[in-house]
Amino acid sequence: MRNLLVSTLIVSALCLGAATAMAQTAADSSAVSGLGIRNIGSAAMSGRIAAIAGRQEKDGKVTLFIGAASGGVWKSQNGGTSFKPVFDREPVQSIGAIALDPTNPKVVWVGTGESWTRNSVSIGDGVYKSTDGGESWTNMGLPNSERITRIVVDPKDGNTVYACVPGKLWSDSADRGLYKTTDGGETWSLILKGGNLSTGCSSVALNPHDHSEVMAGMWDFRRKGWSFRSGGDGPTAASWSGLFHSTDGGQSWTAMTSQTSKGLPTTPWGRVEVVYAPSNPDRVYAFIENVRSALYVSNDGGLTWEERDRSRNMVWRPFYFSRLVVDPTNPDRLFKMNLTLIASEDGGKSFTQAGGDNGHGDWHDVWINPENPKQVIGGDDGGLWLSYDGGVKWWRGGNLPISQFYHVSIDDKDPYQVYGGLQDNSVWVGDSAYPGGISNSRWENLLGGDGFFAFPDPTDPNFVYGESQGGYIARVNRKTLEQRDIQPKANYREKLRFNWNTPIALSPTDKGTLYIGAQFLFRSRDHGVNWERISPDLTTNDPEMQKQEQSGGITVDNSAAETHTTIYSISESPKNHGVIWVGTDDGNVQVTRDAGKTWANTAANIPGLPKGNWISWVEASRFDPATAYVTVDRHNFGDMAPYVYRTRNYGATWEKLIAPDTQSVRGYAHVVKEDPKSPNILYVGTEFGLYVSLDGGANWAEFAPNNFPHVAVRDLAFQTRDDDLVIATHGRGIWIVDDISPLRALHSQTLAQDATLIPGRPAQQRIESNGGWSDGDAAYAGQNPASGATITYYQKARQVIGRLKLDVLDAKGNLVTTLPASNRKGLNRVVWSMHEDPPQTPSGATLVFNATRGPRVMPGTYTIRLTKGANVYTMPFTIGLDRRATFTIADRKAQYDAAKRVTGLFGRMSMLSGKIRDVREGAEADAAKLPEGDALRHELETLAGDADGLRKQIVATTEGGAITGEERLREHMDFVYGAIMSVEDKPTPYQVARINALERELKDVEDQFAELEKGELAAVNSHLKEKGLEQIALTDPPAEFAGGGGPARAVASGLIGLFLRDINAAQPEAGDRDERD
Amino acid sequence: MRWRSIAALGPILLCSFVAAAHAQTAEDFVAQNLTARGGADKLAAIRSYVTKGEMRLPGDFKLAYTETKSRLDSGAACAVRIDAAIQGLTVVQAYDGKSGWRINPFEGRKDAELMGADEARALGDEALIDGELLSATAKGSKVEYLGREDIDGTQAYKLRVSQTDGTMFTYYLDPDVYLEIRVIEDRTIRGAEQETQTDFGDYEKVAGVYFPFSIASGPKNSADSDKQVITIASGEANVAVPPGLFAMPAAPVASTK
Repeated sequence: MRNLLVSTLIVSALCLGAATAMAQTAADSSAVSGLGIRNIGSAAMSGRIAAIAGRQEKDGKVTLFIGAASGGVWKSQNGGTSFKPVFDREPVQSIGAIALDPTNPKVVWVGTGESWTRNSVSIGDGVYKSTDGGESWTNMGLPNSERITRIVVDPKDGNTVYACVPGKLWSDSADRGLYKTTDGGETWSLILKGGNLSTGCSSVALNPHDHSEVMAGMWDFRRKGWSFRSGGDGPTAASWSGLFHSTDGGQSWTAMTSQTSKGLPTTPWGRVEVVYAPSNPDRVYAFIENVRSALYVSNDGGLTWEERDRSRNMVWRPFYFSRLVVDPTNPDRLFKMNLTLIASEDGGKSFTQAGGDNGHGDWHDVWINPENPKQVIGGDDGGLWLSYDGGVKWWRGGNLPISQFYHVSIDDKDPYQVYGGLQDNSVWVGDSAYPGGISNSRWENLLGGDGFFAFPDPTDPNFVYGESQGGYIARVNRKTLEQRDIQPKANYREKLRFNWNTPIALSPTDKGTLYIGAQFLFRSRDHGVNWERISPDLTTNDPEMQKQEQSGGITVDNSAAETHTTIYSISESPKNHGVIWVGTDDGNVQVTRDAGKTWANTAANIPGLPKGNWISWVEASRFDPATAYVTVDRHNFGDMAPYVYRTRNYGATWEKLIAPDTQSVRGYAHVVKEDPKSPNILYVGTEFGLYVSLDGGANWAEFAPNNFPHVAVRDLAFQTRDDDLVIATHGRGIWIVDDISPLRALHSQTLAQDATLIPGRPAQQRIESNGGWSDGDAAYAGQNPASGATITYYQKARQVIGRLKLDVLDAKGNLVTTLPASNRKGLNRVVWSMHEDPPQTPSGATLVFNATRGPRVMPGTYTIRLTKGANVYTMPFTIGLDRRATFTIADRKAQYDAAKRVTGLFGRMSMLSGKIRDVREGAEADAAKLPEGDALRHELETLAGDADGLRKQIVATTEGGAITGEERLREHMDFVYGAIMSVEDKPTPYQVARINALERELKDVEDQFAELEKGELAAVNSHLKEKGLEQIALTDPPAEFAGGGGPARAVASGLIGLFLRDINAAQPEAGDRDERD
Repeated sequence: MRWRSIAALGPILLCSFVAAAHAQTAEDFVAQNLTARGGADKLAAIRSYVTKGEMRLPGDFKLAYTETKSRLDSGAACAVRIDAAIQGLTVVQAYDGKSGWRINPFEGRKDAELMGADEARALGDEALIDGELLSATAKGSKVEYLGREDIDGTQAYKLRVSQTDGTMFTYYLDPDVYLEIRVIEDRTIRGAEQETQTDFGDYEKVAGVYFPFSIASGPKNSADSDKQVITIASGEANVAVPPGLFAMPAAPVASTK
């Protein structure tokens, strides 16, 4: 970088003055976040929806609020055609409940923390209220609730609200039960608490006619890393679950049991759901988990009950599916959420599957439009479903990118593809860039089940290693989609313990080597045809943590999600293939230095931690074989703090990098990785986001661009060729930070400067292409990378007052263009299209659209010049061809020269057209000054007509807005210009011939005009002079503003001529449909 | 250099503010913003304001840009006309105080078209020389202070202006100089919500009043590539505005024939 003298002097002075401060300077969130980030989706598979609320507005439109399990709140004002995220600025993204205030359409309540308490569930931090329809939120308390399953607003009093809090999943808590506020959330009272510290609220319902009458379900539940219980520790163990009734707004309660209420089942119970039929308060439905789980129905307001349906999809996995939704207009019609959505039309006597292609499966909530009960909106593990025939046939929602990735990897294609597995949504591969936007159709499903690790086979791009739950690993043929099961099998009388999220890892030193972990570490060197066990049992092998067949509480539930004492993370050292690290879910950190012959457990050397922690990630250093990192996740002990450690001596000692007292980091840690090129830069993903250290872990900054929510970051991948960071989030899909190389320049010296330009990755002139097709507003499209060369700079403070100017100069120091500068604090990025200003063209009846864009500059070295006040900063900036280009620099030069030649012809044409216009307008003006019948007037009118005739050879002039098909020289020139500019290869011979032909045609008109000038014009001027009138003079045409851009999106979308508001109306709400990659 | 002297004042202003931060109200921030702009007298003295520069639409499509604003009476209400030209053709959008109109000549039509009432109202709001925040009292809008929020690394003060018709403008004021750095406009157009985010920067003084010379707008949270960016080259106050500039033409504007 070559700053000009003045800036150098100023910076030097600053450096001297700030020497002490610099030593303490560390990058904070504002410094790093300006790198920006883009979401590539996808909504193709979407993700789990936990809660739905809706309302039909007075104008007939339907407002929806969707609560994603771990992806925030989304609002639609058109019944689900389009959505926008409205909760992204809040500190948690797990949603358990949404309620709309019936008394005030602007008031929305959200309970955070999902209550469908599967193993991977996230956490919340209380109840939120919006008084502006979801635009902004206030945390109204219950900060220790962790999860909220239902919020009910009194239909007559919006200040009276009930919050049903199951509470903490992983630990005892007194902060659970049914809460009530009567002052709009300012204060809350715990009006119903459980009999022990693991019993919270699972359901609450108000009598629709008498709002002081309340029923509530209470639920005794708990998870550990290796088991869970819904109810007591077994089918007959004691449980504090129950059903309760109040007739005084919750001041006093009566337990409803088999003794007090005829027809209810005997205890112990598990999860309890209760709901009134909105159209008949005597009709009450309850789903009660017990040894004979079933739907119970009361027709007398809860006094007596009758057992009804207990079919498979009524009672299946009650901890995960319990919600009942009754048609607001028909007490006999209700839906039960389950593996499939089931519906009854006879008050629960019988149920059938709601529709044929019943969505993805694993339903959690449904909203029925009370004004039109045939409109049913549902959410399951695969996203949103919309029915307009009462739940028989379903549209799939394609615009919620709330996908829950566990892991991510990339390949070396150009653009590269992204691979990953998702909770209950298989393994997918998608594009990192695609012309027109990364639409849902640019993602392909490769496997099935729950998805976890996925890697392209480094030895053969036609194959992918994909994984589903419990260590099922397949080698998938991308051409045929055949899945070859290559999961290692158990020996005689042996059980292999594969984690729900079993680690598989590729060797960084040998393309053909693959690892997978059960309790043993397996290695294959032949694509899974053979596996070697290269370790003993590396876990604690604690039998107390291996009783999954007894897990579930009342209803056994052993899905592999609780399989424990397993290997959870694997990392081979890139510096020494014999060094392999393994982390287990029960606290061991094992290392071998001889490729598996011997192992050492280093967990005891990690200071300050109890035993048995989940080693959520282990990462061997890229730079030193003795160095490794671990993240420790203790959330399944109720400890939500982050822990990250590093060893520099093969685990003999570990140093703390992040601990609960690290103020700048929130959320339990999932992943740690080193920067591919700088050992001082570390990245950590936690349940609440991404954190970066630029100083080897001494200081941490949240990477928090404004468009990136506080979502769980579960895995990171580096595309080292492009220097991109690819981020797997569990709730908001895949995100990409394009070109992270500027982070490596953010050392303390840089941070101390007022401003400085920062080099990035080499800029390419990526081939400009078109693709995609309109999917309408109801489909998400992931964002493409910037379509141009990215210029990066840093400034210490936001530029508010005074100009910030960003110029591009060519090799000779001539100004190429001035770009609108970005003015944020910290890193800034500006994209240069690399196009020169467009040709100047004569004006006609319409635009000539190809000519709205100038030729692309030639590859080469340019200079970036940033001017900030009196300071000027410069930096060389090199542009190369697209590395995919099949043409040469010479070809490119031929294309550029041809485009410039046409640009020159446009210029000649403009000059000629301007002169013609001078003649015509001058003649018309002079004629108007003369009386009718004057001979000179006639002469002038003839001259004007003749001049106009020439001009009509140059440009199309027919106005009116119709498709005139009128093409003249300008239009023909525009066509050949467009043809040359459509590629960057050399022009074809016939294109060059066409330019030659058009130049001849232009010359013809120029000659005709010269004749007119010498003859007719000279004669007229002579006559004007004789009469003492002003002669017609030819001037250079006025410099019309050249403009630029195109064939821009604005042109393609018909936006030209429309300003911002019109552009807004034409833009999708989510996703970028940039036409270039 | 004006920006330098203001920057030097920044820490002083900040220190003063921190001491009294707990007591700040929406009215305080409005007053701070008015002072930062240049003060009520100087602002009121500007009867018309003409800016010239360049507008880039998504796709790097550039047009020559001229915007003319003029006060309609002694209050805040203004008329506006925007001209954006390329290849000798000029797009026009204008609001005359009652209705809005546009000309889009790029496909061969040069007659003016009447805007819908919602769009005209939006343009009328955009016309304000003072801006929505400083016009709130005159327009009967409600202003609330909503705390601080991170705006691209700046902990900005957040104010909401709610018009009587439900249109909302969320202002984010820079904590050092109290000028708006972002405004999110939330309004209803043809029955549907439309959210527009506009970032302001490169403020310069014109007739003693700070105006932004960099204005980047787009759908809320849109990528930079989806934004319309106006870069002002010059701003001039109290320019004589030709009579009828804002009125919708009865006949097509000058032909290219």
